[in-house]
Amino acid sequence: MKKLVQLNVNGDTHELAVNPDETLLGVLRNHLDLIGPKRGCDSGGCGCCTVHVDGKAVYSCMMYAVSAQDKNVVTIEGLGQNNDQGNGNGRELDPLQQAFIDAGAVQCGYCTCGVIMAAKELLDTVKNPDEDEIRHAIAGNLCRCTGYQKIVDAIKLAAAAV
Amino acid sequence: MQLPRFEYVRAASLDEGLAALAKHGADAKIMSGGSDLLVNMKMRLDTPRVLISLGGIAELQDIEELPDGVLRIGAGCRLTDVIAHPGVSARFPALRDAVAAVGSRHVRNIGTLGGNLCLETRCWYTNQSEDWRKARDGCFKTDREACHVIKTASRCHAINSSDTAPALIALDASVVLAGPAGRRTVKVLDFYRDDGVQHTILAPDELLVAILVPDDGRRAVFAKLAQRVGLDYAAGSFAASLRGPADAPEAVRLVLNAVGAAPKALTESERLLMASGLTDEAIEAAALGARQSLGEVTNLFTPSGFKRRLVKALIRDALVTLRDQTA
Repeated sequence: MKKLVQLNVNGDTHELAVNPDETLLGVLRNHLDLIGPKRGCDSGGCGCCTVHVDGKAVYSCMMYAVSAQDKNVVTIEGLGQNNDQGNGNGRELDPLQQAFIDAGAVQCGYCTCGVIMAAKELLDTVKNPDEDEIRHAIAGNLCRCTGYQKIVDAIKLAAAAV
Repeated sequence: MQLPRFEYVRAASLDEGLAALAKHGADAKIMSGGSDLLVNMKMRLDTPRVLISLGGIAELQDIEELPDGVLRIGAGCRLTDVIAHPGVSARFPALRDAVAAVGSRHVRNIGTLGGNLCLETRCWYTNQSEDWRKARDGCFKTDREACHVIKTASRCHAINSSDTAPALIALDASVVLAGPAGRRTVKVLDFYRDDGVQHTILAPDELLVAILVPDDGRRAVFAKLAQRVGLDYAAGSFAASLRGPADAPEAVRLVLNAVGAAPKALTESERLLMASGLTDEAIEAAALGARQSLGEVTNLFTPSGFKRRLVKALIRDALVTLRDQTA
């Protein structure tokens, strides 16, 4: 039986009828068209689906949508300043997103949205994190392309910029 | 992976949770954070008809320092909140280390301490998708009286991978269980059964509500080795505690996990250290004795032979650390 849930996603409130067995990831992608969080391993090991729930990075494939009731969910689409004038092009990038571009920390890009959300929690909670803290913060995110070095560089760059 | 269909019940209080559990009984499964349960449901190792979520119960999420020095941690406390609690870091650094060793930050942000203590047991056979498992016959955990890991086994040997369990046992902690008849308090060591299918003493109508950590002047260490730091289950985890001087201990507790269905108290090695103190020779002998006492060792990602060697090194290094920090 479907349940009515209220989800606060990227500042907007949505009332949705979802099956209890739908994950937060499934609802974000299939009902709300937020395709930043990716479906990777789908079992809490790769980090592609990372989003923030009440400011904390979590695997959205490991959480039922009904459990996110009344919580604040932020996906990569919700990062940065919204200066939208109605044409859909007004969103300014978060310093972390800009740093990933500047450092060339993206290759295939499948892990990127998740890594950025994990790094975002770190930068929100720790000022000037050292390399060890950065690597621990993104330990739950797998990247098969970059070898992580440029990702770590990008996070350092963003930390210096904030 | 599609999840099996179920009915979702969100308990607003402990009484509601217990009532839901009493009503649905064996058809129901308890969900705290869900980071372990969802994997098992996706793999069809668990297919509950009803899921009772405890995530909305405020009284399970408190950490209190009681007047007698006992730290009372609600079973529903998120692992990140346990790490961040000043009382945990200041008084029980080994517990903090053990909690920080669980999964990745993403997992610790939703996983709870009670959930980690109840962590489902695993082996290399059950840690696979349903389709993969179907290519072989079933096992004790699914639908057949057999074990793929230890062929001669007469029961399930799936591994207990809880990192917090050995640390809490070393600290002589207890768990509070609530049921329809009231509450009972048992030592964490006695909470476990050496059977991978039913690996805790939790009755079908009971809930784990709190963890009590006494402060009796013990110092403790926790050590874990896994393939990747920050994501994997332990190949071996170990906790040790010591009260009194290292050369003439008043109490020693050694606990090993991730070698079988229940955490293992190394009583022989404890006696050895009690008799001669934490000298280099005694530590070496205690580590060797632990390795020899292992019996059948279940494996998940690492071969059993490697695990045996690993256990010895893990114990020796941790005991040297414990001795040096208390000297």
